Order: sequence, then structure tokens, then C-alpha cells
Amino acid sequence: MSAHAATAPKTRTAEPRPPAGFPFGFYRYRNYVVFAATSVFMALGCVGLIEALYALAHGEEAWKAFLANMARPHNLVLSVVVLLFTLYFVFRFAWVGRKIAAGRIGPVPRPPLPMPILGVAPIGGFVTFWLILLAILAGVLP
Amino acid sequence: MKLIHKLEPLWWILFGAGGFTAGFFLPALILGVLILAPLGVIDGGLSYQRAHMLAASLPGKVFLVAVISLVLWHCAHHLRHFAVDLGGHALAPIAAFASYGLALAGTIATLVIVGSL
Repeated sequence: MSAHAATAPKTRTAEPRPPAGFPFGFYRYRNYVVFAATSVFMALGCVGLIEALYALAHGEEAWKAFLANMARPHNLVLSVVVLLFTLYFVFRFAWVGRKIAAGRIGPVPRPPLPMPILGVAPIGGFVTFWLILLAILAGVLP
Repeated sequence: MKLIHKLEPLWWILFGAGGFTAGFFLPALILGVLILAPLGVIDGGLSYQRAHMLAASLPGKVFLVAVISLVLWHCAHHLRHFAVDLGGHALAPIAAFASYGLALAGTIATLVIVGSL
């Protein structure tokens, strides 16, 4: 019998329960919920990209029909909402990530950079990649 | 559920990789393909011929499969744990199988479609 199994019956634990006010009663809970909701919208964005690839695989007419469908106002509004949630995810991801970079890992000392710079650096890297990718999509870069 | 728990490191690797992939590429793809191209702002850049050429090249195929599938797995893992936050451990099996199942379906769909380009 393992040690864990031997002690289990003697340990009384409370049933797991959410904290008071969860999920909307406190601003940190709300931020947490919005961050989780970004996954729904990013997955929707991926579905849109799969739809684009499907149209691309079915010829020029299908591609033009896809673009025309996505240009309809309700689809454009949805795409903008998806983009806003994705941007929220990226900025929060980078901002939380600065704490990982500032952590002490074993014998490796903390980096000497202040926290704001550690947060802005990954965002700068992300934006650089967006500009390069947009330039490729727009035909500015080959 | 035992298998799901056993594969936890794999889910975390996909979650982390998907987060970084989303950060680097997803906003530009959404803006370019789902907003600017339908509005005709980058007509020449994403004409059928050029869009097909970009997507059907080997680097394009690898890029598209990597970005779409990793982001889907990231979302699946995030939503699995958020479902448990909201509904408790009773929801854990349904959340795990539904979210990972959808991510797997999306990955297979992307592979099939990209393969047919």
C-alpha cells in the first residue's frame, strides 16, 4: 500500500468550490473570464481561416464567393470582434509573460531589465511579425 | 480520463506553443484574410492566383497547418480548464473530450484541406 493511500482516509478536505463572487463579482475575476473567452473567439478565427482554405481549394469562383460573403456587414463585425479578442489575448499573454522572464530559474539570476521593458519587448516582437506577415499578404513582400 | 491525465504534458506543450503561435501570427492572418481581403484593401496581394500560390507552397502549407492546429489546441486546453472553473470537476470529462475532440477535428480538417491545395 502506498503512503498516499494509507493517509487518505484520515485527511478531511472540503469540497472544491469557486471563490465568492466568481465569475463576475470582482474585476480580477472578470479579467480572467474575458481572457478565457478569447479562446472561443480565436477558435472562431481559426474556423474562418479553415473556411478560407476550403474556398481556395475549390477554385477561383469559390474564393471570390468567400470574399464576398466575408464582406457582408455582419461577418465583418464578427471578424472585427474576433480580432479584438485576439489582440486582448496577445497583449495580456505578453504582459503576464514578463513575470516569467523576470523569474529566477535555479542558479540563473534575474535579468537586470525593469518589468515594463520585459513586457513591451515581446509585444514589439509580435507586432514586428504582424507587419511582416501583413506585407506578405498584401503583396508588398514576395 | 486516465489517458487524458497521462497526456497532460502533451496538452501543456500544445497550449504553450499555440499561445506563442497565436501571438506571432494570428492577428495578422485574421486582419489580412478575414477583414482586409474581403474589403478589397489588399486585392492584388490576395488575388486567387497569389493566395493559392502562397498557401499551396510547402512553407505555406507547413505554416498554415502549424498556426491553425496549434491555436486550436491552445484554445481547447484553455476552455477545458475554464469549464472546470465554472462547472466543477463533474464537467471535467465532458470538457476534456469535447474540447480536445473539436481541436482534433479542426486539425484533421486543416490537414485534409491543405493537402488538397
